[in-house]
Amino acid sequence: MKTKILLFLALLFSKLTFSQELKTFGKGYTKGVSVNASSNSNSGIKTLLGTGFLPNAKASSRFLSQATLGPTFQEINTLQTQGIEAWLDQQLSLPPQFNLKNYVQSLHQYAFDSLHAANPIDYQTIEDVFVDDWVFDVAWFQGNMTAADRLRWRVSLALSEIFVTSRISAFDNNPYALASYYDMLNKNAFGNYRSLIDSISYHPAMAVYLTYMNNHATDTLATYPGSPTKKQVFPDENYAREIMQLFSIGLYKLNNNGTEMRDANNQLIPTYNNNDIAGLAKVFTGLSWSHSRYLGDNSNVNDLSYTKRLKFFPMDSSDKYIRSWITNPANWRIVYGHEPGSKTFLGQTIPSRPVQQGEQDIQDALNIIFNHPNVGPFISRRLIQHLVTSNPSSEFIDRVATVFNNNGQGVRGDLKAVIRAILLDPEARDCCAEKETNVYGHLRSPFLRYMNIVKGLNLHATNGIYRNVMYDLYDRIEQKPLNSPSVFNFYQPGYVPDGPVQAAGKVAPEFQMLNSLSFANYMNAVHRWVISNDPLEFWGLFSNETYKPDQEPRFDLTSEYTLAKTNRLREFLDKYNLILAQGRIKPENMSIIENVLKTMPMDYETNGDPDPTLADRKLRMGIFLILISPDYLINR
Amino acid sequence: MGTTTLMSSLTSLGALNGLTKIGADSAPGEDYKALVCILFSGGMDTFNVLVPSGTTVGGDNGFNEYRTLRTDLALSSASTLLSLNNPQCGSFRGFNCAYSSYGVHPAMTGVRDLFNSGKLAFISNIGTLVEPLMNESEFYNSQKKIPLGIYSHSDQIMQWQTSVPQSRDALGVGGRMADILNANNSNNGISMNISLAGKNVFQRGQFVTEYSISDNVDPNNVGLQSFPTWWGNSGLLNDMRTNAIDSLVSKTYANLLQKTYSSTAKNSMASFEIFKEALKRVPTIQTSFPNTGLSRDLLAITKVMSVRQQLGAKRQIFFVNIGGWDMHDGLMGGLNNMLPIVSQAMKAFYDSTVELGIAENVTTFTISDFARTLTSNGNGSDHAWGGNNMIMGGAVNGGRIFGAYPKMDVSNSNALNVSFRGNFIPAVSTDEMYAELALWYGVSPSDLCYILPNLGNFYSFSANSMPVGFMNFSNSPISNINHPLDCLTY
Repeated sequence: MKTKILLFLALLFSKLTFSQELKTFGKGYTKGVSVNASSNSNSGIKTLLGTGFLPNAKASSRFLSQATLGPTFQEINTLQTQGIEAWLDQQLSLPPQFNLKNYVQSLHQYAFDSLHAANPIDYQTIEDVFVDDWVFDVAWFQGNMTAADRLRWRVSLALSEIFVTSRISAFDNNPYALASYYDMLNKNAFGNYRSLIDSISYHPAMAVYLTYMNNHATDTLATYPGSPTKKQVFPDENYAREIMQLFSIGLYKLNNNGTEMRDANNQLIPTYNNNDIAGLAKVFTGLSWSHSRYLGDNSNVNDLSYTKRLKFFPMDSSDKYIRSWITNPANWRIVYGHEPGSKTFLGQTIPSRPVQQGEQDIQDALNIIFNHPNVGPFISRRLIQHLVTSNPSSEFIDRVATVFNNNGQGVRGDLKAVIRAILLDPEARDCCAEKETNVYGHLRSPFLRYMNIVKGLNLHATNGIYRNVMYDLYDRIEQKPLNSPSVFNFYQPGYVPDGPVQAAGKVAPEFQMLNSLSFANYMNAVHRWVISNDPLEFWGLFSNETYKPDQEPRFDLTSEYTLAKTNRLREFLDKYNLILAQGRIKPENMSIIENVLKTMPMDYETNGDPDPTLADRKLRMGIFLILISPDYLINR
Repeated sequence: MGTTTLMSSLTSLGALNGLTKIGADSAPGEDYKALVCILFSGGMDTFNVLVPSGTTVGGDNGFNEYRTLRTDLALSSASTLLSLNNPQCGSFRGFNCAYSSYGVHPAMTGVRDLFNSGKLAFISNIGTLVEPLMNESEFYNSQKKIPLGIYSHSDQIMQWQTSVPQSRDALGVGGRMADILNANNSNNGISMNISLAGKNVFQRGQFVTEYSISDNVDPNNVGLQSFPTWWGNSGLLNDMRTNAIDSLVSKTYANLLQKTYSSTAKNSMASFEIFKEALKRVPTIQTSFPNTGLSRDLLAITKVMSVRQQLGAKRQIFFVNIGGWDMHDGLMGGLNNMLPIVSQAMKAFYDSTVELGIAENVTTFTISDFARTLTSNGNGSDHAWGGNNMIMGGAVNGGRIFGAYPKMDVSNSNALNVSFRGNFIPAVSTDEMYAELALWYGVSPSDLCYILPNLGNFYSFSANSMPVGFMNFSNSPISNINHPLDCLTY
């Protein structure tokens, strides 16, 4: 059988070699297919077509464009012999390879050591040295450039845009808060959804962001014993609302395939109302910093406070500390911190129990949410939209949600199984012709484009250390990890742009970020990164830190200069079409780009090599035009 | 909206263009009007912006009622409020104003000055409504339609922009106005709707979409960055690149996402040169603006309005957003930090329209997701409903509070209160505010329900009877002839 296919391939290649259309990289979906390596695919033909699990170059690149933040040429080549399932197995078995908090801490320590050595009086402890939120960005970028768990980082970026917390908040300057939250996402990305929402709910960054830090039980008693004035304090409803609306079940009841249920009058059926929110708000009361002495204690909050799991206070004994001049304990105002009594939401009631056991309320509430039938289709749709396509079919959602509901071993919420189900689904893997006439795929978000470029152009620091604060980048593209303008992310999953997408009744979330200004801003950002060759941004960690140019590498295209020769330009463009655009730029558009490059001046040195300066400009122009092509921007 | 409605609206355009100019123009002979929408995203706690100031026990005791209710969220004393001269808060559609004397937050000097000089009005207890709700039982009675996703940010912020709270409609009020009036502008290379906040629902119409700009309106900052001059042939390269981009985005794409991307890209490419050329004519603006995000945005609007003739614009709708109002926590400090930014920016912006001689041609209004609970969650307030907003400009019937300020009472005796936390049913609908703005802007009465489909539930049209009354119309803008058409009713 295999021999036959090889023979067939040989024939196919010999034919294609002389075909006018054949270019060097990934042309047609059959070039470069190898079936002599061991394959898990049971269909040689599927493999030939690039839909099987031992992919050709384009299928490789396409898979990696969904499963990583952007493939390198090397990775595309490796995957062709490794196979998609083997790659997934290997990736899913890798524990987190990079700890952001530790990296932030090491940079902080380095800054302290340097300053302390120069000035031990002013810099006695590490807390004398301020580190800004961009140290998190440096850590994030370092992790992405060096960690081998590429799939985890792709998934955690998606999670960071679903379970949103942002530095545009009360902890804006604190890199530890951001790093710790991101580590938590990285850790749980291949874990269970139930653990994920537990970790999120107990994370100080989320508690501050959605304002349930020090959230208090209903308090309508006198402001102090004997006072005529009464308090009017009620549990904060922010987290109760958003955990349901955005992190788990959404606004309307769903079928397992993600479609909305309808009642007898053909109306949507809300999953909850304001009473449910008030009920759930009572649950998330009594949580404070790990080091707090009492509920409401915001003293001594430091960088590391944001890295420690919240602590539960059943009672509010703040009076002991705040009105410390009261010496008689009988005069202290001691009230409930955690709401007493039963709590009802989503049609279920958490039983009344002593407030000292109030943390069980939280676990009960998370179980109620976790077991709601909406979670599977809701979370599956979100993840598919981030990784593969904005408009998955109801069948696709159904298949993934079914795995969410039960991974095959009776476990609900197994994210590893969900990720595998998404990426191996025929709707994710099938390619490509039929996708041209519909709404398949998604607009690459601006930050994803940046990562595509950095990876695709093989950015490389000689000593493996990168310093990238991503400040100018955010200014231009308005997106980077944990910097959303609100809990509704940079774009919303149901966003509908004007025009044909709307007419077709479909959504295109990332288009919420596209307008005349962001369109120009993106092109000018690419100009800076690629044309001006300035992709990173090095800032000193402390004043007078020596500039370390090796940590701010640029794109080196020297090895490609030979492809700038007029007769090899198409080869160059084919290669970067493959790496960046998964080979999806149409031939007529490739010709437009090639013609621009041909028109640019070129000189040759005596040995026949292209003039390096002119070659460099030519290649950068080519990459620029690939990156602004609609064929690249819509990953499909 | 169905095609039929739109056709009738377009037909009426001819009639509208034939009308003599409506309202007052301070620039003689020039028919120019602009609406500026300031969105306070996140839900501004506007019951700490406009505050009852009476302290007469047994009489107008508004401040004390406010303070009792808001506890740690109350401003400390009535004397710190900046008082408003005779605000004439009366009644509206059966709702009575609860108090007679008011002040604004101590950090809002500019707003106080604008109000007291008649250039700014408040509308009190305004919010999203599908149809009038008179009391709590109507709210809970399923016979009445209530806004979808009430109290949710994503829904309420959208509904304030669409004024269609019974559906998740993607078209906004400003977009639909532009659908009707876009033909007034001679050059449509730059949209009637200009956004300083990127994509937004408010400015999105069936035929018109927003043109997004940054607060840096230096002409050199528009469009594509040039190739470095040391490349020698940078001019040629710029042209070649522009042509290539034009070609790539002008191709016909079958995939709908590619189609959508390329159409935005193509329109944007076309607009850059027009906008750049116009901006070269911006005069020096003397009015001093603070260096805050909101002020920079409003200054950019002033500059764009200054070249309205170069842009061929007789009608413009601007949109800005200032976020950070979701103060579940740290409310008092948060308002102290942010309200001065708002107040100073609005004052500077008004002054700059005076400088350009178009103060009576520009009307600015504020919107926000919702107001916030009157009661505290310990250190902040949660999501609520009806609140207070501001209308500013030379054509505004200023110095008054329109609508009906609600009683600071969360007990059952307050018919408008629907929650023990203090969430009020709005007395005024967003439809009524937008209808008045639309009439001022030049929308024919017969087109009002294309722009505001629910308007018929609130406003009984008759000649010279304004929906709210906060705008001055120098001559009779509406007659018996052009009744609103195609209104939805429940």
